[in-house]
Amino acid sequence: MSQKTITITIDESGNSSIDLDGFADNSCSWVFEDFRGGDKIRTERKKNSFYSSKQTEDQVRAGH
Amino acid sequence: MSKYGTLETEIKEQKYLIAALAEMGYHPEVHPDGAPLIGYEGHERPERAHIIVRRRELDSASNDIGFAKTADGRYAAQLSEYDQAIGFDQKWLNRIRQLYKEKQTIAAAKSKGCVFKGREVVKTEQGERIQLRFAVR
Repeated sequence: MSQKTITITIDESGNSSIDLDGFADNSCSWVFEDFRGGDKIRTERKKNSFYSSKQTEDQVRAGH
Repeated sequence: MSKYGTLETEIKEQKYLIAALAEMGYHPEVHPDGAPLIGYEGHERPERAHIIVRRRELDSASNDIGFAKTADGRYAAQLSEYDQAIGFDQKWLNRIRQLYKEKQTIAAAKSKGCVFKGREVVKTEQGERIQLRFAVR
């Protein structure tokens, strides 16, 4: 299982981005909220690893 | 799942605002009910604020700089045109926002038991970009 990592980048204007990696469950939603700290969300997207882990789950369910 | 998001920093938490100002070398005053800002001539100005950096910590001809809590919970900076013109401008405010966000982030990581993995500062033409990395146990 890959390490769960959180990378926060704070740009020159004081705005930030949150990059969550290695999360194979929905825990990244609360992690995102914890680190959001009440800030306004400008963009938000699930990453490729989410889709690949979901695909694996679906394949297991389908018996592939 | 993994996720990526971009956020617009909103200064809402007093303790991180004070910590950011302190890191910049100021000794901000806290006024829960608000207090008037003092102008460069030593007279009270009409503006009131809850967090105040007094003019003695700024430039010799500066006015106080205040941060007033608004109805939606954010702190709004109150800067005179003069002070903005001599360097207490958007770039200065951005530095406060950056330090505020860094302190808030470190506190969030600590409260959740995350392991600090590193801090990287990248210098750019616009200033500095700070990257903080944590691992989840």
